[in-house]
This record gives sequence, C-alpha cells and structure tokens, in this order.
Amino acid sequence: MIRPEVSSQLIAIAELRWRMFLNGLRSKRGKMELASRILVTLAFSLGGLLAFTLATGFAWYFVSQNKAEYLAILLWAVFLFWQLFPVMATAFTNNPDSAELLRFPITYGSYFLIRLAYGFFDPASALGTVGLSGILLGITLARPLLFPYTLLVLFTFALLNLVLMQTIFAWLERWLAQRRTREIISVLFILTMFSFQLIGPLMGRLGRKPHPELNQAFEMGARVQAFFPPGLAGSAIAQFSHARFLPGLASLAFLGALTLAIGILLHLRLRAQFRGENLNEAAARPASVQTQGLRVGWNLPGFSQPVAAVFEKEMRYLARSGPMLLTLIMPILMLLIFRLGPMNSLRHSSAFSRSFSRTPDMAFPGVAAYAILVLTNLLFNSFGGDGGGIQFFYASPINFRQIVLAKNLTHASILAVNTALAWIAVSYLYGRPHLAVSVATIAGLLFAAPLNFAAGNLLSIYAPKKRDFSTFGRQNASQTTVLASFGLQIVTVGLGVAIFMLARLYQNPWLATPLFLMLAAVTIPIYFMVLRHIDGIAIERRETLVAELCRA
Amino acid sequence: MDLAPTISTQALTRRFGDLVAVDGIDLNVAPGQFFGFLGPNGAGKSTTIKMLTGLLAPSSGRIKILGLDLNTDPVDVKRQIGVVPEGMALFGRLTGAEFLSFAGRMYGLDRLTAAKRAAELLEFMQLADQPKKLVTDYSHGMQKKLALAAAVIHGPKVLFLDEPFEGVDAIAAGTLKSMLQGMIARGATIFLTSHVLEIVERLCSHVAIIHQGRLVAQGSLEELRMGVEAQTSGAREGTATAGEKLTLEQLFLRIVGGTGHAEQELSWLG
Repeated sequence: MIRPEVSSQLIAIAELRWRMFLNGLRSKRGKMELASRILVTLAFSLGGLLAFTLATGFAWYFVSQNKAEYLAILLWAVFLFWQLFPVMATAFTNNPDSAELLRFPITYGSYFLIRLAYGFFDPASALGTVGLSGILLGITLARPLLFPYTLLVLFTFALLNLVLMQTIFAWLERWLAQRRTREIISVLFILTMFSFQLIGPLMGRLGRKPHPELNQAFEMGARVQAFFPPGLAGSAIAQFSHARFLPGLASLAFLGALTLAIGILLHLRLRAQFRGENLNEAAARPASVQTQGLRVGWNLPGFSQPVAAVFEKEMRYLARSGPMLLTLIMPILMLLIFRLGPMNSLRHSSAFSRSFSRTPDMAFPGVAAYAILVLTNLLFNSFGGDGGGIQFFYASPINFRQIVLAKNLTHASILAVNTALAWIAVSYLYGRPHLAVSVATIAGLLFAAPLNFAAGNLLSIYAPKKRDFSTFGRQNASQTTVLASFGLQIVTVGLGVAIFMLARLYQNPWLATPLFLMLAAVTIPIYFMVLRHIDGIAIERRETLVAELCRA
Repeated sequence: MDLAPTISTQALTRRFGDLVAVDGIDLNVAPGQFFGFLGPNGAGKSTTIKMLTGLLAPSSGRIKILGLDLNTDPVDVKRQIGVVPEGMALFGRLTGAEFLSFAGRMYGLDRLTAAKRAAELLEFMQLADQPKKLVTDYSHGMQKKLALAAAVIHGPKVLFLDEPFEGVDAIAAGTLKSMLQGMIARGATIFLTSHVLEIVERLCSHVAIIHQGRLVAQGSLEELRMGVEAQTSGAREGTATAGEKLTLEQLFLRIVGGTGHAEQELSWLG
C-alpha cells in the first residue's frame, strides 16, 4: 500500500480548488461571478489600505502620546471585524469541503492544517492581518525598540483570531448541519439584525438626558474588556511600553493560554468530524414510538379538494418556516422601529408637522405597500420551496391553474392578515388613520395585489429558483426576478404615491379610492387572463421548472 | 383474447439539442403485466418514464395510456396512473400523514377517505411510529416507501416506478415487493425501471431493454431467452451451461454487449 504524502495531498487540494474555480468560469454565471469578485477584491483592497493607514496613524499617536492603553480600541476593532465579518457573510452556507476531504486517507494533522489554511485565506483574515500590520508599523515608528515584542504579541493575537474564527465556523457548521438548529440560528440571526436597528433609536432616547448608570456600565465594561483577547494584547503592549515587563509578559502568557484553549475547542470539533460523526437529523433523535389519530385535511368552502389541499400545504410550509414567517411580519416590526426612531423624531419637528400633520395617514399606506413588498419574497418564486414536489404537481390530475390559484389564495390571506395587523398596529402606535385613507389603502391593494400576483405567477414559472424555507441568504430569487420585481414595485408604488398626492392636492382624501378602483378594474382582468393561460405556460416550461427545482 | 395495450408508444422520440436520448421507440405493455424497463446508465430509461407520465414532452411520437392519448387527455390519464419519479416528488416540509392526505386529495379523494387511506398506508409501510417527523428528515428508504404510498393512494390502474429499489434496505424492499405483487394480483399494470436485475427477474413477467436510446429487445423473459439463444452460436463467457436457463443478467449483457471492459485486466489491482 502506498502511503500518501501530506505535501502532495495539500497540493492536490490546492489544485482542486483552482480547477473548480476555472471550471466555474465556463458558464456565464461563473464569468459574472468573477467580475463581481474582482470588484469586491478592489473594494477590499481599498478598505485594507484605509484600515492600514488608520491603524498606523492611531497606533503611532497613542504610543507617542504615552497612551498605549488605547491600543486596545484598535485591537477590538480588528477582533470584531475578524470574527463577525465571516459569520455575517457566509454563516448560512455550508462548507462542503470538510466532509468531502474526509473520504481520502488524510491524517488528522493534515486535516487540522487544511482547515486553518482555509481560514488564513479568508478576506477577513487578510484584512485583519493588514490592520495588525498597520498597528505594528505605527508602534514601531513611535517606539522602534518595541518592534520585536510587539511583533510577538500581535502574532499571538493574529493566531488567536485565526483559530477562533475557525472554531466558530466549525461549531456553526455543526449546528447548521441540522434543520432545526439551522432554523433557530436563522431566526436568532434576523432578530440580532433587527435589534441593531433598534440601537440607534434607543441611543437617541437615552441621549436626551444624563444617565449615570450608563457611565458606570461603560467603566465596568472597560475593566472587563481587559480579560478578552484585544484587551490582553493591548495590555501586553501597553505594560511593556511603560517598562512594566512582568505584567506585560503575564498578559502575553494569558493571551497565549487563551489561544491554546480555543485551539483545543477547535481540535475537539475537528476530531469529531475526522472520526466521521453523523449529524443526520433522523439519527440525532430517538425513534420513539408514537401514535396519532386520524387527521382530516382542511376544508375551503367554495373551492375544490385540490385547491384546499394545496392551500393547506402552503400554510403548513409557512408555519414551519421561522425565517419566512419572520420576513412576513417585518412590516409590523418596521412600524415599531419607525415609532421609536426617525418618524417619531420627525413628528416632533415643526417642518414635519406642517407637511404631514397626520402620521397614521402616511404610516398605514406605507406599511401596506411594504407588506406587498415582503410578500414578493414568496410570490415571485412561489414554486421555489416545493423542490422535487413540483414533479408531483405535474404528475397529478389537476390543471396547473388550480395549484396557482391555491397559492395565490395563500398569498392573499397573508396580505389580508398583514394589512389588518398593520392597521391595528398603526392605530395603537400612531393613532387611527383617517377612514378615507384606510379605504383608499385597501382599494390600492386591490389594484397592486392582482398585478403583483399576475407578475409573480409568470415569474415563478419563467424564472424559478430552488429555495430552502429554513434558511436566509442568496438563494431566494433569480436575477431576472429581482429586476422585474424592482421595476414592478417602482410602477405600483409610484402610482400609489401619485394618487395620494393628487388627493392631497385637491384636499379630498376620498378622491384616491375611485382612482385606485379604476386601476383595479384594469389589473384584476389582467390577473385572470394570466391565470387562464397558466396551464399552457406551465406545460411549456415544465422541463425548466423540473430541472431547476429538482436540482440536488 | 386480444387485449388492447395499457401502455403503448409509437415512434416515441426525445432530443436534447443534438443528443437523441430516446430514438423512436415502440413499446407495448398489456394489462396486468409487471413490466421491467432495463438499460445501461444513460440509455434513456428515465427520459422514457418521464415522457410516459407527462413530466417531459416528447420531441415526436405518440403515447397512449389505457387507450387515452397523453397529449390530448393528460388529466384523464393522470387520474388513473401513479408515479414514483426519479426525484421521488415529495414535499419535504410536511409530515408523512400530511403528505399522503395531500396526495390523496390531489387525486380527487374526499378529505376523510384521503386521511383514512393515508393512515392505512403509513401503517403498512411501517412509517406510522413517528407522526410528527417531517418528510425531509426521513431516511432515503423511508422516503422511497412514502413516495410509493403517495403513488398508490388513489388506487391507480397503472403504476410507473423509476428505480423504486435504489437505496432501499432488504426489509423495506420486501414491503414494497409484497405491495406491488398484491397490486398485480388485483389487475393493475406496473412499469418499472431498475438496475437490480435479480429483482426484475423475480418480479417482472415482461421486460424491454433500451440501449443508446433504441429499444433493442421486448417481450416475456422466455421470449427474450429464445431470441438470444437463437442468435448465439458458440460459447462465450457468461453463457449458461447446457440445460441451464440464461439469467436476466446474462441476457442483458448479451443484448447490450457489456462484457468487453470486464475482460480487460488491471494488473495493478490487488
């Protein structure tokens, strides 16, 4: 038996990635990907140059002004970027390499090294290293004698960042391997993003009067941060710069120990992967025997069994998709953000008061338009979540328009619920909207919804894209759909705004309703015309739909 | 008695650009037959079954199922057939019971009947013990059983199965086989593709072999044997000894000529 050389394996993996990159360029999509990568690399290079310059300047300033403790601020910035950026950028895509590599006779040492090497070539690592180089240069310019020691500290800090990033990824990979944990993490992710939106408004509120408890919290935070990697690295350099060598070396030793501890965590995870852990969802849960009574499907009065069955299936899919549900309730969440934030501040200003005396009259139509916008997530790729189930639709003895109609009923129900909730939320948060505005908004929906439904039905068939309802990310729509959606929203929102402005111009809020109803008289027949032709279109496009949606 | 075929095709052809995946095949499957459709990888089996079930449009040719033209009466045809296509056509985010109930209603069953049959099928397929489990979390074998259950929930007269035994363990395969044999006994017609020739030999009464898009053999196993033996003169590797019947595997290899590479020697292999 030939024993594989580690170096030849590493070269083979490097070549594999290179071949995959080259083969990817064969398609038009690959070429576009390359072009966008070049643009992104340019942007990163500029960002790196800026980070390097800023880091050099600030590090030089802090050390030359004998304020080396402040270096921790720079190190925190590098640390947060290094750790958070990769998670934000790729947390919800699986890394296929690790499982594939394990088929080959690679040693555990090689596997560990390969995983670290992947991390080293990550853009965050590259930019983090550039930032640290800037700090090193700034400190060296201010105090040349500190160079060797600073180099040692920053190297340890960089190693910690690299190992920590890979540890976070390895654990995320473990959690994301299972559907349920993937959904939970996705929901937590969007809630985190949402909470970031609230920081500004809350800080604005807190900033209006002094808060001594906040100052205390900041002071405590400053003390606590000294025990974290950036604080330790900053302290190691600062102590040394003040000729306090022993505390400086102690901080460095602590930083080294922390790196080792994180490395052990990474080792535990990678070792489990290397030994071939099984993250299969079915295997993870005990096969407890349960029984269930007969569950009869839903009834939808006035509609056929297939339409009711598809409606029920769509609702069940939505109810089981945390990320999608959260997306659909975003209009209500946005109302809350605006209530706490800019709209609220604007409402207190005199200029705003003069121009828009009644906020609810803006908020309700606005949130209704936003409700349609978020619905396009579902509407414009309505078969995306069905995956291989599309074959079932084609094999079943019903006309495609019944399936599309059932899906549209689901969309209409969501829109109706969202609009009703929005009206309640607006009434509670801002005050009840004028009756004429409420009626006009509903009339506006009667115009906009059929148009969006018709376009969505066509785009769902002409530009389908497989999607996983349990995750967020770049999977949700084709470029064609994005462009068409953008154009359609400009038209519908533009018409809506124009009609409301016209009503305001004539100082008659009731004028908007008949205008919207006139437009609805055009868009509703368009919707039914598309629905009538959908069978033929679906049959004509069945190969594209099946090929795209059944893709592994 | 001259029975009209349950499945018949005339000059059925499918092209993908320059590639002719299925080249003018004429199939005839009589009522009540357990029909095996065989061929090497890429021969055109899945393309044919997709065309027979309305999942793919033929480039030319005609398909008749139960005397109905698939092109002009697709809904009437689909109402009477069941399909387990290559990708199994499942809805991953439903439970097994929800999916079967959904499938039944899509085939026109009322809610109560669909729910009752779903429960019976889950019990029969030994899938009833984890009712809250989503289809996406099922193992491959469980998904195959569920796909078959969905294909039969409406009691179809004709069943099309694309590789139903692929990735299925012996216990599950036994369950599937007993169900299929039960359907044949009650007069249904089954059309299946499979690479497992032993299973096809045991189950099927008639077979057809497709090679490079063309139908190269069709008939009962006995007819195929007689045809091959009549054509063959002299002994070759894989030939049965005198008095022994040729196995389906031997017939298949003779017809598609697949033994050439096996005779090559890879000297470095242990």
